Amino acid sequence: MTGLSESTSANRPAARAGSSATIPVPGEKRVFMTGNEVVAWAAIAARADIMYGYPITPQNEVMHYWTRLAPKFGKEFLQTEDELAAGFTTIGGVLAGKKAFTATAGPGNILMQEPASMAEMMRLPVVVVIMQRGGPSTATVIYSQQEVILTTFGGNGEGFRIVYSTSGLQELYDYTIKAFNTAWRYRFPVFVLADGYQAKMREPLTIYDPLARGMELVPPEQYVGRPGMPGVDRPPGHYRNTYNTEEELYEILQGHVQEYERVAPEIMEHESLETEDADLLIIAHGVVGRAAKQAVEQLREEGLKVGCFRPVTLRPLSAGALRDAVSRAKRILVVESAYGQLGKLVRDALCGLVVEMFSLYKPGVGVTPEEVVIRSKELIA
Amino acid sequence: MKTKKKPLKIVVAGEGGQGVQAIAEILAEAAYEEGRQALYIPNFGVEQRGGVSIAFLQIGDQPIGAPKFETADIVVALNARAVLRTRQYAGRQTILVYDNLAEVKGEDLPRQAARILSIPALETAKRELHPRVFNVLILGAVIGATGVVTLDNTKKALEKRLGYKFEHDPKLRELNHRALERGVELLGQVIQGGKEQSGELRAHN
Repeated sequence: MTGLSESTSANRPAARAGSSATIPVPGEKRVFMTGNEVVAWAAIAARADIMYGYPITPQNEVMHYWTRLAPKFGKEFLQTEDELAAGFTTIGGVLAGKKAFTATAGPGNILMQEPASMAEMMRLPVVVVIMQRGGPSTATVIYSQQEVILTTFGGNGEGFRIVYSTSGLQELYDYTIKAFNTAWRYRFPVFVLADGYQAKMREPLTIYDPLARGMELVPPEQYVGRPGMPGVDRPPGHYRNTYNTEEELYEILQGHVQEYERVAPEIMEHESLETEDADLLIIAHGVVGRAAKQAVEQLREEGLKVGCFRPVTLRPLSAGALRDAVSRAKRILVVESAYGQLGKLVRDALCGLVVEMFSLYKPGVGVTPEEVVIRSKELIA
Repeated sequence: MKTKKKPLKIVVAGEGGQGVQAIAEILAEAAYEEGRQALYIPNFGVEQRGGVSIAFLQIGDQPIGAPKFETADIVVALNARAVLRTRQYAGRQTILVYDNLAEVKGEDLPRQAARILSIPALETAKRELHPRVFNVLILGAVIGATGVVTLDNTKKALEKRLGYKFEHDPKLRELNHRALERGVELLGQVIQGGKEQSGELRAHN
């Protein structure tokens, strides 16, 4: 395995003596591992500095693998007393100029919303990996897509955040790396939304050093403790989450709204398959997108005009592209392992269009391609 | 039988602690070593031990789609509860392999399955090898039934997983290899209905 020296990223202010160890990710390497392990490797490849976390199934092994890898590369880990603390310490790490992240699931994701809201208010680039499990409450430790609304709009605010929904382990690797870049480039909190299946399953993927691929890694910057006298040598840093007047808050939020809307088109991503002439358009995200894609392949083989639209960013949602695809279809079928959470986002995006909308909602359980095929045929017949 | 596009779908189920997940993991690893596509996912719950443990595995030549599926090509059930629990994954093309010591009631067997094979895996492991390698023997039986991976690559995958133990005790490697080979044989005997067969072969349809 050819190592790559961390010192090649010399423009990275946070590079410390301790993290000058070689990055173990080779130029390219084919591996066969679980999603939790993939996240830990991706965070190393993204040159994350520190993870804060509290154990919860099914994301525990993100922490386990990170704590195995971290000391070898001068990276750090702090186990906190709960997810509130994990979120707030991640914020602390970011304020100190570290690429900091955390990972959680289910009830932990609920607690994570308070620090996430603070990160929205203060425009802090925290990265949070979510492995969705069954809900409400403790429910199952296994799998669901029931944390979509929570992860996109879970705070007491406007959802100034970016949420990537991955469909498999290659994407989990790619988007975990991308999450750090998006966070530090745009200064909004970024979530990588996966699920218990992706956390625990094993499949082949290629891990790589993003620098060796010529990718840019956006360097972190200190928020607090920068050199110079505030107001004299440099502008003071006002990182506030408390405002005295309605007008003051309103003005700040207007800035956030404008900035979010300005950058959203650069961030939005989706995948579409056979949507050009589709009479029936299946809309699914994450791992369920795989079942939808398989169903489309089978139905196309049978000569049926079915396509699939998979939003990769659930927030901001690629509403324009979705409306475009939907306007060509006669009917749409929303498929998810939840009871209409993606459905809500889709309805919101499609407001004003006239189309027949159907669903295959399976809260807390996996969706197989066979079920999608059967449901699709009912709608085509 | 399989078109190139469709992966082979395998369900392995048994009591927690019987080594069900290890069987699937080693198979998946062997397939990966062969440069094939593989996706393995355990069915996990809140229990620390006990309960029926299920592994879902798909091996093919194209990237695998959804991680779970409705109908398996082969179901391996290591005890009676596992037979009952996995009945839903048996379709008309499915081969069910179960241990002959599992006290399975006739009505619990999936009638729709193409073939139902009961093999004396636990008995053989106890008598000829060691109860510890029961799951490796089952692994051999799956390879025998499907030919989905080669024996050599399975040995490599075993080495990757247990190599550190084999280093301390080379006899353990030998024991595991014998269990693997015996598993392949055992299934062959059952299918061919040879003299040494102590299981039964029943075909429905």
